[in-house]
Amino acid sequence: MHSIWAIAKNTLSQAIRMKVALAVIVLLVVLLPLMSVIMEGDGTLLGKLQTFVSYGLGLVGLLLSVLTIVIATYTLSSDLKRRHLHLVVTKPVRRYQIVVGKLAGILILNIFLLAIFGGVIYGLTRLIPPLAQADDAEVQRAEREFFTARTGMQVTYDEAQVRQAAEERFRMLRDSDQIPREMSQPQAMRELMAQERMLAKSCPPGRARRWDFEGVRFKVPDDPDDPDGTEATIFIRYKFEAATPPPDDTIYGTWRVGDLRQMDAGMERARTPIYEVQRGEVTRSYHEFSVPVEAVADDGFLSVAFFNNPALNRTTVILEDVEVLFDSGTFSTNYLRSLLLIYVRLAFLAALGVSVTTWLSFPVAILVCVVIFLAGTANTFILDSLDGVGLTMGIIYQFTLRPILWMLPQFDGIYNPSYYIINGRLIEWSFLAATVSVTLFVKAVAVLLLGVWVFSRREIAKTVV
Amino acid sequence: MVSNENTYAIETISLTKIFPDWWGRSKVVAVDDLNLQIRENEIYGFLGPNGSGKTTTLKMILNLLHPTRGKALLLGGSSDDPEISARIGYLPEESYLYRYLTARETLDFYGRIFGLPREVRHERVEMLLEMVGLAGMGNRSVGTFSKGMARRIGLAQALINDPDVLILDEPTSGMDPMGTRQMKDLLVQLAQRGKTILLCSHLLADVEDICDRIGILYGGKMRTEGAVSQLLQHQDQTEIHTGNLSESTLQKVRELIAGQGHDCDVRRPMDKLETFFVNIVKQALEEKQVTSGAGMGTGIADFLAERPQTRSRSVLDELVTASVDSTPKQDQSPETPTQKTEPAPKPEPQADTSLLQRLTKPDTEPATDEAPAKADEQSTPAEPSEPVEKVKKDMLEGLIGRTSDTAGSTETTHPEDSKDDNHA
Repeated sequence: MHSIWAIAKNTLSQAIRMKVALAVIVLLVVLLPLMSVIMEGDGTLLGKLQTFVSYGLGLVGLLLSVLTIVIATYTLSSDLKRRHLHLVVTKPVRRYQIVVGKLAGILILNIFLLAIFGGVIYGLTRLIPPLAQADDAEVQRAEREFFTARTGMQVTYDEAQVRQAAEERFRMLRDSDQIPREMSQPQAMRELMAQERMLAKSCPPGRARRWDFEGVRFKVPDDPDDPDGTEATIFIRYKFEAATPPPDDTIYGTWRVGDLRQMDAGMERARTPIYEVQRGEVTRSYHEFSVPVEAVADDGFLSVAFFNNPALNRTTVILEDVEVLFDSGTFSTNYLRSLLLIYVRLAFLAALGVSVTTWLSFPVAILVCVVIFLAGTANTFILDSLDGVGLTMGIIYQFTLRPILWMLPQFDGIYNPSYYIINGRLIEWSFLAATVSVTLFVKAVAVLLLGVWVFSRREIAKTVV
Repeated sequence: MVSNENTYAIETISLTKIFPDWWGRSKVVAVDDLNLQIRENEIYGFLGPNGSGKTTTLKMILNLLHPTRGKALLLGGSSDDPEISARIGYLPEESYLYRYLTARETLDFYGRIFGLPREVRHERVEMLLEMVGLAGMGNRSVGTFSKGMARRIGLAQALINDPDVLILDEPTSGMDPMGTRQMKDLLVQLAQRGKTILLCSHLLADVEDICDRIGILYGGKMRTEGAVSQLLQHQDQTEIHTGNLSESTLQKVRELIAGQGHDCDVRRPMDKLETFFVNIVKQALEEKQVTSGAGMGTGIADFLAERPQTRSRSVLDELVTASVDSTPKQDQSPETPTQKTEPAPKPEPQADTSLLQRLTKPDTEPATDEAPAKADEQSTPAEPSEPVEKVKKDMLEGLIGRTSDTAGSTETTHPEDSKDDNHA
């Protein structure tokens, strides 16, 4: 342990003396406050906060990732190249201790840097609302949608049902010979299923669509003015698409939120309130409104219904991403979790960098790391695009490329912390734990073991003639 | 006392290293079937021209390279074993220190790797800095050091764990004569305190001065190996050093020698340049002239001197250890055996006594001011001003045997005296 610590400490000194670390630190120290002043977003307070945090966290994540790659690939390879290790390995130290010591040094450095810059962004974010000249409504909106951590429940559609409906239509069309010749059966099915899915989300004029949510449970926020949580709210979030865009691009509709089972049962007086909300909003952007929590039934059941008012709309409305949101945490803890997500990424890169330099030289190693980092940031895209390959290729792909791709780290999509912070979404501990286990305990450890294995067998003083 | 594996501090068995080219084809035979056997408590000089495989051999011993064939044993095991590497000190051909660490941080770093507790570490670091003459430069980063200064730190790091075996690759390269002299004195002292030293060098004078045994490597093969005195001593010549003689006395001596049937050659001895240089620097030091370079090292660091003896490995060692304890402060007396001590002790009774003699030295080490000067003379031709008569059959012998073959003087000279000289 003492040797690991000695090497970690030495790596830390080495990293601090590297110019690149200084460059990153100076860059961030200058850029972050500047960004907090310059960035405006869409002009609203919420927009400014979202833009600043999104770019700020993105920049810190990116620069620290680059810094980690540079230091991790540099430290061991320079020790080998400059033969510092000739001395170190002749001391009572195991090879794995050298690798782990190097890694520990970088991890410690990252903790410091991330804490500092994460703290700077947090401080600036908290400073933006008091300094911005925003009216109360804007401040309240920012509090509601940004300085919070909400859990969202999205509408799920029963895939089996969709498939069944698609198959039925497929049979019908085939029997009536309406399927184009050039279309194969899987192609036709894919097309039909997409149509069915669209159908499930659409609501023609004069019709209503209803979604039921179960298990809407939330923790009442600790608001001293509101001990019972009666002022707590739930949020309905959605996006409209219009089959034929209306002239003013606006969809008008009536929402009903509450335990609609009471109406099904034909009860005279509802025990829990049902709220009716009239809204008129532009298409293709997200909107949300809030209703008091009393709308949720005691067993956590909640219905949301939308009525397409034929008096105001003449088009079929497609409701995308209907979601029920409720407060489930605080901004601060959620922000901390987002930093942890970034840290997981840095830790993986550190392990990767140190491992590959056990057998690659610095330039090659840094190239490999950057490629893997970029692949990680486009992982979802790569996997999605490759999942679409044909059936025969698919089997080969499934057993060859896919496992390799799976080993790539995932830094984008749901692993991107900005997404959560901007939208005020809770990063759940279970999600964080799963990410840590997969990215660190499986992927990083595998990479590290490989590196240690190579390093233990390597001739430190090897010369190729 | 039978030679079995355990009696060797360093042993190689048919050690062979062939460097392949990029395609894996054998290209260069660097070390070829080498069998080294270095006993404990021996200073072994490993010689050879450039590229003869010296460093490659060391690297295989230290597991920095893997042998193509054969085996290298260090203290009976592999240097991969932390138990064994904890007892090794290694100074590579260049110092390979972290340039951004200060001298103090460097030593502290290696001390930590050895797991030395904080107090011990701090104490040793200060002692070592003082010992290698860099006490004032502890907070300067190693990158700003000259090669010789880096070498000194390199030596200090090799000693921080108080090793049993020291492996030194060109330890004096780039060092000034003062440093070289101190290094040599130090190595002799360390050997006296039971350490085994493998010294790899092509500075023949250094090796000659201090090594018990040498091996000369050429093309990866051992050409010759043996005790320095055996290899170098002229058994058919005698050298006499004395004070200034009048022409008539000289004539008588010539006649006397001629009577024995020998020729004789009379000359005034010259100072060695080393001695001269050391004196000049010492003068400057006494005048307290400012320098940003290395200073004068002090004597051996206390922690290296603490443990006086070898591990009890054999009957001989036990005997020797016991003798040390029973003969404290025993001054060099006339009954001192005058035969040469060969550090490759054949199991003969003489060898035992001579070893004992050698090992009791540290205790008898008198810190007088006269003794050092004489040490200088011993390693170099006598200064003319010194009236003491000395018979010096062989300069090396005096150093190696650490007993002067005296014929009139009871003065003994041994290298640690010259160290004290520097200390003054």
